[in-house]
Amino acid sequence: MTRFLALAAGTLISVLFLFPYAWMASSSLRSTRAVLAAPLRLWPESWDFSGYADLVLMGDLPLWRAAFNSVVITGLSALLAVAVTAAGAYAITRRPRAPAMRALRAGFLVTMMYPAMLLVIPVYFVVYRLGLLGTTTGIVLFLSMGPLQFLLFEQFFRTLPAEVIEAATIDGAGETGILWHVVLPMARPVVATVAIITFLLNWAQWFPVLVISRDSDTWTLPVALLTLNGELGTNFQAIMALSVLTTLPPALIFLLAQRQVIQGLTDGAVKG
Amino acid sequence: MHPARWLRREGVFHALALPFAALTIVFGLWPILLAMRVSFTDSATALRPNPVWVGLANYASVLADPGFRASLGITLAYAALAVAANVGFALAYALLLHSPWVGRARTLFKLAAFLPVVTPDVAGYVVWRWLYDHSFGAVNAALSAIGLPAFGGITSPDTALFAVLIAELWHHAGFYMVIFLANLALCDRALEEAAAIDGARPLQTLRHVVLPQLRPAIVINVVYALIQFLKTFTVIVVTTKGGPDGATDMLSFHAWQAFDEARYGEATAMATILFAIVLAVTLLFYRAGEKGRAA
Repeated sequence: MTRFLALAAGTLISVLFLFPYAWMASSSLRSTRAVLAAPLRLWPESWDFSGYADLVLMGDLPLWRAAFNSVVITGLSALLAVAVTAAGAYAITRRPRAPAMRALRAGFLVTMMYPAMLLVIPVYFVVYRLGLLGTTTGIVLFLSMGPLQFLLFEQFFRTLPAEVIEAATIDGAGETGILWHVVLPMARPVVATVAIITFLLNWAQWFPVLVISRDSDTWTLPVALLTLNGELGTNFQAIMALSVLTTLPPALIFLLAQRQVIQGLTDGAVKG
Repeated sequence: MHPARWLRREGVFHALALPFAALTIVFGLWPILLAMRVSFTDSATALRPNPVWVGLANYASVLADPGFRASLGITLAYAALAVAANVGFALAYALLLHSPWVGRARTLFKLAAFLPVVTPDVAGYVVWRWLYDHSFGAVNAALSAIGLPAFGGITSPDTALFAVLIAELWHHAGFYMVIFLANLALCDRALEEAAAIDGARPLQTLRHVVLPQLRPAIVINVVYALIQFLKTFTVIVVTTKGGPDGATDMLSFHAWQAFDEARYGEATAMATILFAIVLAVTLLFYRAGEKGRAA
């Protein structure tokens, strides 16, 4: 009996968590009139792809452009985040007592305490002064800084056994050689985890993208969706279609790498 | 060691840290200092090389503004409610998933609750905005189907805050849940079994055996949730835009509007105030958590 109740409760809650996805997908394939007549129905009466067709041109922003921006900005910022943060965290963990490294770590920790959303406002001023306003470079650079990435790398490098590095040193390897031939091969799993998580987190970013953009040329899918949803004379079906397209890539990546994603996000939070 | 070799050896580390240091300064320390500076200047001149300094005038005008005060009250009340609802739900659901009763369904239940966490928040909240809609929405259609009264959703001042809370719970609770699950996996099952043998009721076991072991996860989750919900922003931009009648006018949204109207001085003053509140509340809870652990 207890077992049945527990399963029933879990099933009900899971259905509630998943219902918005089903409703979004269904509404993107049903005509607006059909949804108005039966808002709860999930299986389409007839398949209507006009919502997707309407997206091909959203005002002056073509869909392919927003999708392209999303892939480029998210991909580049994930690569850069991994490279820059891994190198920084490695240097800081290998030389924890060097004054410059201590200052860098402290400075970074202060930055992390400043709520990211509030940081975007002053970042606008900085990007403006650097002449990077409205550029993909400005957006990518800003998105490649994150507390979670640093904490995950720092944790990993702290657990590296000192003997491994000592042994390599005795064998005559230089620091570059140690990093390239000893540390990096061992770091492969954490590099993959950080890259996947950064991709997921940055795919969802919209506020920095909107603030650093001058016009729709650098908008990503979430920014396009936000704008489409805010327009007068809303095209409900197209909004649902764009929601599906914005949700699908991270959902697929998550389902394929769920263990790593959940483990990484938990570790980053628990040890941070 | 030879000085040149020493320099080369240490130089490697400095070279490795350099890009990270550059990003930390350019997108961290510099903007934070700049924000504090702008908050002491006149908005119209804030972006010029020689801005007009106004001292604390921006802070004074922000604090005297009834709109800001109302927004501060809403933000604090909402954060308290949202933390309780999210952490409470996440704890209960994690306990259910950790129990032996759910068996193999555990992974499926966990994934369903966690999927919204990695769903872009804009997409999730856009769907919720339409789910709440009076003519399209599934929420009211479902309520009327089972004979319940209609829900005002995001268009009624009485229910808007609650509607926002539900949408945010959908997006965030799965994260707090997996933190609890990670902590539960470290708990000692033998203690629970011993309590059961000693004749403890399930609720007594929960209170005296399980909850004390979950202390780390509770502290982490409360602190994370506080930081999260004090900054509530995206859901407001997507669903209510602070309305109806300012019922959901959260601080970060209020500050963003000031920024959007080029009131830079006041916007950064509000940002600095919110930062101070988040910092103070976070430190307070960390302290409380540490003290509890020591006792």
